[in-house]
Amino acid sequence: MAGGPEGLRDALWDALLALLPPTKEELKLDLGEEVDRGTVLLLQQAAELFLGGRRGECLQASEAVLDHAWEKLNAGPWQDVGKAWRQAYAFGCLLKTLCLCQPPREATAVSAALRVCDMGLLMGAAILGDILIRVAAVLQAHLVSGKRPDRSPGQELPSTKHFQKHFLVPGRPVVLEGVADHWPCMKKWSVDYVREVAGCRTVPVEVGSRYTDKNWSQTLMTVSEFISKYIESEVRDVGYLAQHQLFDQIPELKHDIGVPDYCCLGSGEEEEITINAWFGPAGTVSPLHQDPQQNFLAQVMGRKYIRLYSPQDSEALYPHETHLLHNTSQVDVENPDLEKFPRFAEAPFLSCVLAPGEILFIPVKHWHYVRALDLSFSVSFWWS
Amino acid sequence: MTEELPGAWFGFGFCGFGQEPVSGHGRWVLSPEQLRAGGDICHVSASWSYTALVTRGGHVELSGSAKGSADGCRDAWASEGLLVLLRDRSGSRAELQRLELGIEHALLLDAAGQVFSWGGGRHGQLGHGTLEAEPEPRLLEALQGLPMAQLAAGGWHSVCVSETGDIYIWGWNESGQLALPTRSLAEDKRTVTGEALNEDGSEVERVAGAPAHFITIQPFPALLDLPLGSEAVGASCGSRHTAVVTRTGELYTWGWGKYGQLGHKDTTSLDQPCRVEYFVEKQLQVKTVTCGPWNTYVYAVENRNS
Repeated sequence: MAGGPEGLRDALWDALLALLPPTKEELKLDLGEEVDRGTVLLLQQAAELFLGGRRGECLQASEAVLDHAWEKLNAGPWQDVGKAWRQAYAFGCLLKTLCLCQPPREATAVSAALRVCDMGLLMGAAILGDILIRVAAVLQAHLVSGKRPDRSPGQELPSTKHFQKHFLVPGRPVVLEGVADHWPCMKKWSVDYVREVAGCRTVPVEVGSRYTDKNWSQTLMTVSEFISKYIESEVRDVGYLAQHQLFDQIPELKHDIGVPDYCCLGSGEEEEITINAWFGPAGTVSPLHQDPQQNFLAQVMGRKYIRLYSPQDSEALYPHETHLLHNTSQVDVENPDLEKFPRFAEAPFLSCVLAPGEILFIPVKHWHYVRALDLSFSVSFWWS
Repeated sequence: MTEELPGAWFGFGFCGFGQEPVSGHGRWVLSPEQLRAGGDICHVSASWSYTALVTRGGHVELSGSAKGSADGCRDAWASEGLLVLLRDRSGSRAELQRLELGIEHALLLDAAGQVFSWGGGRHGQLGHGTLEAEPEPRLLEALQGLPMAQLAAGGWHSVCVSETGDIYIWGWNESGQLALPTRSLAEDKRTVTGEALNEDGSEVERVAGAPAHFITIQPFPALLDLPLGSEAVGASCGSRHTAVVTRTGELYTWGWGKYGQLGHKDTTSLDQPCRVEYFVEKQLQVKTVTCGPWNTYVYAVENRNS
């Protein structure tokens, strides 16, 4: 049972209830044909149990939905997973979150509930007007308190037409200065700031020096745990908060970054631009690989060593033959086995050290290898 | 000599839709309970939300979210979207012994005891040593020369039993369903490994940071030893758990245990085979085991030694 003044507990519950749809009938989901009848039934039951105040039974029903949907989410490649199943999963997370927060609740209930919410955001799909984002914000506000300190530390800008003609169309990499250097994140962000804004949120972390290694794995933990375990402690294993759409999960952080204007040269809408966070200690490595979209890599904290190879020289980079890794080179760029991969030595490349405030344009399918020289935070923009 | 008496079916694990064991009141059952369904049940096939029970007289009864019955059936395969019933056929010689379906893959055992697999392979469930999918049945070369007698497919793992009672297992081990050490259970400090037990059976304190060799995916068949060198005669798999019957009538279970599907009176997941003590205590010989996704059904007979 949580101790503390009655008033505070009710405030959280009131705030959560205020986020729910106004009528009981609207607390439901139209999942279509894809989701089996049993799951639809169970979700209906769970919603009714919640509205009827039968918290324990609602928790059981929600848990069963989550476990069943989890199996569907793990059946086949992620891009093939039906949206309806992800919505079912998100709905299960919503009900479980509410049940955990309902007074009287355990001392650890709110952080446990936030973890469930984040799972719904990570694995689920938007429901009820993206309610999980708002629920997460309410829970986070309840956990975190205090002000954030301001932090102040320490070229030629091509026109859109110029960029298109000289870099985008011919597929030429370029370092852009003066595009991102005025973004708020350049002054505001530090490890402490990240911990304050996102510390209690659950994120995926890659453990192991690179994703081609045998011992590489992915796990989930809060940002605070990640910072204390892989950034601030005597580092044994390498941990990397990599390729995570943190700015969708925590919209507040999105205000600190911009979106390069050159993205308007793409055929997609701005909402289709994928923005990923890359946050980790010195020494994180992304093995040489290529991506199917154009990329602006913006450096915010620390420096990164980056090497680039043209797609024309792909054969000299010995991509893996398996379907899973065919976009990844077998060669360890900074320690190549030239007996096994002789042609690699002749492949021409560009390299740079990307510093805070700079953006590297990596053309589509251009091979790139990245190693962090310092504690680093990068933001990448994938667009087409 | 052991006198065989008429046996009974038992069930344990998830029954959240009111399927057998009905005494679970729509939740789950942690220890074997006798099924209420009457009739001489010879086959059980369980999907997530319902179970199909087939009697020797050819009658199929559904229990759980789906209702209904049929006659003239020899066997049934239950899934959420589809129920397949095998009707009586006269005099056909089966070329294949057994077909088993996982969530993304399929296994086939032919009359010569050879195992074939095909479908998705992302979790190593095909057993060919890669994570690649196979579009057509492909022979498991690693098992050539070892005729198999039993075959079972779980959600993302595969098990077969040789004619000499050896168990081979491969696929995804995320809940310990391969009986190999798994990271998730070690982090919950629930791994019951031989090395982790003191002489008096108490668990050794795990030293923080001590490296352990975890296996998440086993893409080749691995030989699994049961405690005391027991021989296996039957196997079945749920989504993420495994059950094996031995020649001496014991039942071993391991893997995901959250809904009581391992039958050890709790919801602990295990990455080592553990005997279901219920049947030993009641002096019952286990003959058959069939797993649903989150539950387990067992046919056992009384063991009266003269």
